[in-house]
Amino acid sequence: MSDFLAEQLSLATKQTGPEWLSELRDAGQRSFSDAQLPTRKTEAWKYTSLYNLSNAGVANAAPAAQGHAPVIPGLNGLRLVVCNGIPDVCSSDPEAMELVVRFTDADAEQQQAILAQLGKTLADKGNLFSDLNTAALTDGYFLNVAKNHILRKPLHIIYCTTPVTESGDEKFTVNTRLLVNLQSGSSATVIEHFSGEGEQNNFTNAVSEICVGDNAELTHYRLQLMSEGAYHISNCHIDLQRDARYSGFHLALGTALTRNDIVVNHNVGGSHCELNGVYVPQNKQLVDFHTNIEHKVANCTTEEVFRGIMNDSSKAVFNGRIHIHPQAQKTLAELSNKNLLLTNKAEINTKPELEIYADDVKCAHGATVAQLEEKATFYLQSRGISKEEAEVMLSFGFINELLDALDDEAIGAWLRPQLAQRFGRDDALTTHIGGDL
Amino acid sequence: MASNIEIERQIAAREYKAGFITNIQSDTLPPGLNEDVVRFISNKKGEPEWLTEWRLKAYREWLEMESPDWAHIKYPDIDYQAVSYYSAPKSMADKPKSLDEVDPELLETYNKLGIPLHEQMALAGVAVDAVFDSVSVATTFREKLKEAGVIFMPISEAVHEYPELIQKYMGTVVPVKDNYFAALNSAVFSDGSFVYIPKGVRCPMELSTYFRINEAKTGQFERTLIVADEGSHVSYLEGCTAPMRDENQLHAAVVELIALDGANIKYSTVQNWYPGDENGKGGIYNFVTKRAVAHTNAKVSWTQVETGSAVTWKYPSCVLKGDNSVGEFYSVALTNNYQQADTGTKMIHMGKNTRSTIISKGISAGKSQNAYRGLVRMNPTAEGARNYTQCDSLLLGDKCGAHTFPYIESKHPSAVVEHEATTSTVSDDQLFLCQQRGIDTEKAVSMIVNGFCKEVFKELPMEFAVEAGKLLEVSLEGSVG
Repeated sequence: MSDFLAEQLSLATKQTGPEWLSELRDAGQRSFSDAQLPTRKTEAWKYTSLYNLSNAGVANAAPAAQGHAPVIPGLNGLRLVVCNGIPDVCSSDPEAMELVVRFTDADAEQQQAILAQLGKTLADKGNLFSDLNTAALTDGYFLNVAKNHILRKPLHIIYCTTPVTESGDEKFTVNTRLLVNLQSGSSATVIEHFSGEGEQNNFTNAVSEICVGDNAELTHYRLQLMSEGAYHISNCHIDLQRDARYSGFHLALGTALTRNDIVVNHNVGGSHCELNGVYVPQNKQLVDFHTNIEHKVANCTTEEVFRGIMNDSSKAVFNGRIHIHPQAQKTLAELSNKNLLLTNKAEINTKPELEIYADDVKCAHGATVAQLEEKATFYLQSRGISKEEAEVMLSFGFINELLDALDDEAIGAWLRPQLAQRFGRDDALTTHIGGDL
Repeated sequence: MASNIEIERQIAAREYKAGFITNIQSDTLPPGLNEDVVRFISNKKGEPEWLTEWRLKAYREWLEMESPDWAHIKYPDIDYQAVSYYSAPKSMADKPKSLDEVDPELLETYNKLGIPLHEQMALAGVAVDAVFDSVSVATTFREKLKEAGVIFMPISEAVHEYPELIQKYMGTVVPVKDNYFAALNSAVFSDGSFVYIPKGVRCPMELSTYFRINEAKTGQFERTLIVADEGSHVSYLEGCTAPMRDENQLHAAVVELIALDGANIKYSTVQNWYPGDENGKGGIYNFVTKRAVAHTNAKVSWTQVETGSAVTWKYPSCVLKGDNSVGEFYSVALTNNYQQADTGTKMIHMGKNTRSTIISKGISAGKSQNAYRGLVRMNPTAEGARNYTQCDSLLLGDKCGAHTFPYIESKHPSAVVEHEATTSTVSDDQLFLCQQRGIDTEKAVSMIVNGFCKEVFKELPMEFAVEAGKLLEVSLEGSVG
């Protein structure tokens, strides 16, 4: 066991949480105690080195004096602000506090509901970081949407981290856990928003477990806009029941190292999954998306689109796996991953995988890596737009297609200028990108 | 789908026509592997000191290595001590000078396989090197090729006649330590072909090697080395078969291709090793390392039709080292019953404006598993490089699997990589369209499968395209009326 893991484990064992969670926590600690940090020889970590992760210290996070929670203008959402893992009551909407159950505040009935689901969607055992999260499980948040209930306002959960904790630690670890249960016929929009400003060096280890019940519908945004020094590792597992619909948008902009494992399980039949993602690393950032769609039963569909633009010396990894089990006949699954490399120091490693054990299925995947098309740049130049500006417009357009498809226009409108900044660091270059910025 | 069940049955029942055993007395080394065995093989071939040392070094490296487990195949651990590493027909011991002195039984074997070795009977325009277990039986048209300056001979002879060429090139493309099976091959390789095409020469005929495993409990470890000097051109074909046996036999080959500036090598394989019976018993374990280096303006093209072997582990690759070099990979892999194939290619782009094309067609039937595994790497030096990959899988039956594992690594902004993959079955719509035009189901499926593979078959040299077509047809024939 490496020093980093040993420290994490000792920190996890030192923390105290509710008694009713201790069984799970112990199990997590047991499986975590044999863990090894993956090396480049571990297939799932072939292109992503965790060497620098030990830079992010493990000191326990304590509530900071004040967190700065960003606002998405025009988003009429219920805000739940979680600062360094602790709810920030002053910045949160009371309605949101009421809607979401904090594990430590759960009553007996809620505890039952939480225990019934917690850890169950994390089907694949032995994921180091979800084990760590369970090992350190002292708190979490539970959204339970009742049968046939439609949540009108989006739930906006903002996880913010501060540069230092109250005790002055710059390097610390935050384990966050979100549990979502949409009962049959219900509908909700959940925005998980990771943010952090200033120079940061902390490590967030987030786990989201989501169950979308029969005929229920979830629109899910996972926006990671943390500061460029932070580390972010997350596991997001989604279980789809009969005729459930999941629409996810996963964005990775910040951190020095981001690793997102997204697993979607089609469990009963008739379910539909739309999974989209955008990554735009710059400088020396590294973004790694591993998605895994498990088609366990017949008659389910998946559409997955991920796009990335790599600038400067950044690096991105995309691994999209679609696994069709033998009984999953009549499956329709499509995956597309398109990438733009802007400099010759940037790097992309993509691997769209198909593993198919049923014959009456239609599956396709495509991956491309390229640079901006010369013809397109020329077209814009011939209309009097400078080459630099044309390149910014085209890069932006490459990503904007996915932003335009977002259900909530407020989120798109809020993200556009931030993305535009990535390509045209000079304001003059972004003048042609949408009048509404 | 009822028609699919019928097709499956037809495929399962297809005959393995090359499954006979030649009754011939052989000199076979007892099973087992140690330094003495390596020395024995080297000694048997009368090899120079440096080659013996090279083999021993490889053997020692191999001992340190571990069998790879990343491929999507399952097989019991191979007992390397239960394999015999050298077997040669007794009659070959005194090295027959001409074909007339070769044991007629051996010649008959090749006749039965449709590879006549007498030049007057042989297909005009194809020179054949026939390798039987661990030795080369005969090489046809050697004289005629010599006139053109082309060297085509068993590698064991080339070691004596052209030691400087062998020493210069062997192990440069596939280093001894490259992987577990390459290391094993380097230690115990027995025979294979050596080809050298001099500068600017267009090889006057197709060159071909036919590999035959005959003896029980043996492995075949051949090594092929092709060097195409500047501006030369060669097309090489490879075929292989083995008798039907209950045991699994090991085949671990190494093929190295070197295309110097402006050279053009086309390498085609029809692999039809014994695939095992319908219960998955027996068959060849085929672990092959094939790699080519293409220098400036050179072109290397791999075409393979893989229908045999119980287990296939094979990744013919191109290192596109020189500027403007071109690599191609066309593959059809058909698996059936309990066959498992994990095959694909690697395209390593190093030079500027290098181009590569990968077309892979996988057909799985029965309870087989068929995987495409490929790597396209654009190095930071690969300015303007281009790759296009297409892998399609066809599933016939609901108990088989088709998998795609493409790795794409790009480190140059002007390099363009495109990858597309689809998986489907013969759809009811397609069948219906054919049926309403009076084509019966079986014929329709045969047509659809053939159409599916057409892109690859058209790359094969004519003689091979016919054989490959037949091989697939065997699987589907009988369903035609």
